[in-house]
Amino acid sequence: MGAFVQIQDVFKEFETEGKGAAPIPVIDGVSMEIREGEFVVYLGPSGCGKTTLMRIVGGLETATTGDVLLGGERVTGPDRRKGMVFQAYTSFPWLTVLQNIKFGTKYRDDIGEPERNQIANHYLRLVGLEDFADFYVNRISGGMRQRVAIARTLAAAPDILLMDEPFGALDAQTRDFLQEQLLEICRAERKAVIFVTHDVEEAVFLADRVFMFSARPARVIEEIDVNGAIGPERTADTKETDAFFHLRNHVRDLMRDQARAIA
Amino acid sequence: MSAPGQALGALVAYRGATGGRVNLTLGIAAFVLFIAVWYLIVFTGLVTERFLPYPGVVIGTMAQLLVTESFLNDVWISVARVWGAFLLSVVAAVPIGIWMSSYRIVGALVEPIVDFIRYLPVPALVPLLIIWFGIGEASKVAVLWMGTFFQLVLLIADDAKRIPREFVETGYTLGAKPRQITRSIVLPSMLPTMVDNLRITLGWCWTWIIVAEIVAANSGIGHYIWSMRRFLKTPEVMAGILVVGIIGLLTDQAVRIAHRRLFRYL
Ligand SMILES: Nc1ncnc2c1ncn2[C@@H]1O[C@H](COP(=O)(O)OP(=O)(O)OP(=O)(O)O)[C@@H](O)[C@H]1O
Ligand SMILES: [Mg+2]
Repeated sequence: MGAFVQIQDVFKEFETEGKGAAPIPVIDGVSMEIREGEFVVYLGPSGCGKTTLMRIVGGLETATTGDVLLGGERVTGPDRRKGMVFQAYTSFPWLTVLQNIKFGTKYRDDIGEPERNQIANHYLRLVGLEDFADFYVNRISGGMRQRVAIARTLAAAPDILLMDEPFGALDAQTRDFLQEQLLEICRAERKAVIFVTHDVEEAVFLADRVFMFSARPARVIEEIDVNGAIGPERTADTKETDAFFHLRNHVRDLMRDQARAIA
Repeated sequence: MSAPGQALGALVAYRGATGGRVNLTLGIAAFVLFIAVWYLIVFTGLVTERFLPYPGVVIGTMAQLLVTESFLNDVWISVARVWGAFLLSVVAAVPIGIWMSSYRIVGALVEPIVDFIRYLPVPALVPLLIIWFGIGEASKVAVLWMGTFFQLVLLIADDAKRIPREFVETGYTLGAKPRQITRSIVLPSMLPTMVDNLRITLGWCWTWIIVAEIVAANSGIGHYIWSMRRFLKTPEVMAGILVVGIIGLLTDQAVRIAHRRLFRYL
């Protein structure tokens, strides 16, 4: 299968406030191609520009120069094809869990009301929140709220799933559990995924490929073929294998070098 | 610690938890204390009865007024003016406030003017508004509208601006258009704080209606209070003021209860 997402030589600078202040370069010439159904992780030190690059792919930010193509079409703004899960909780407090998930179908014109309910219930089950369907989201845990956000995004039937540290604020156990659940869901959905994190273990566990970025301005310093190194199968035991251990150490060393560059 | 001891501890603890029963008791206690102090001031002759009647006299006068048809008519007229002007203010402020926060050009155009007018003292506008609108209902509504709209529109714009940026962006990535984001995300998201701000604005309306009715009116509670002043009927004046306070308190409580019912999810 050919490239589904093409990022072509993207540069990004942010204008700064204040007279005569130079613009801040954030993305320094990034190119990559992502296949359909591929799970790609962006890894890099804090503040390097990962979120910015993902937002450019999602159409929420525009590149200073360079292009992003999605299925051969230039990205010019946000829409339903580019689903986004944010690090901050974005499930709506005035809606219940099920209503939040159904909200994902609200602006689809390809389906009618019965299908909306069907889809909402399908994703409710997929993220394992049946017992909380009628709870308002302020009454459920942070991990559950992120599952609601993921389910809502999937209910909108996007072509690509963009996730910005969705598990960043969660404790280690919840994180491990959600990582496994996310992989299962993504296998079932066969969608392209870009997942941002600065947790090395999370990156290696989830990814088909990891893109390691430099400190700001972000350049790709290494592309790590995780599937090639540890295979496409991931289970709870994967993290205990030697292959995983070696790869994680390698990536961790890369990460340390970049962190040192900032300090 | 014993249970009452704990309750007492929570009462004086910095930002301690409070219960509804305790709050109600304290609230009533404060009223009782207020009336007791008032009573003592008159009783000791600190202020002569002519200027400050006994609490019982004022409350008695109020009870009588509340069954007097002409006074009830005044109350009704004031209530109608307040709600009429308040609703006109809301109908204008909500869409404009949301616009101001949604489009930079609207905000940049409207905010400086609103800010300026907001600082014009409303009582000073009353004579002008009477020249423009006469002494009929239109001028009352105009005074209230001027006194509330310009404050409210900024509060609404702030409420709308304060919703998380990610909520709006989520809307886009789910395929919503700006109008749909406003209706299905921005509005429900800001509604709880908006209702609170409306409640506070409604309170201001009661201040401005009395001002307007004192200056130029031949009906309404303000007019009643002002005409009683001429005969130095202090109990009637005070009873009139109390009635305004009580209406304000009841409305406020009603909106609070509605708020709790409407926004159970908070
Ligand atoms: N709207 C903006 N205006 C100006 N500067 C910005 C803006 N957004 C981001 N930046 C700057 O761009 C740089 C990269 O930000 P970005 O959020 O993409 O980093 P990140 O890799 O996602 O970091 P983190 O891991 O902390 O989330 C930061 O230095 C940030 O201060
Ligand atoms: Mg980020």
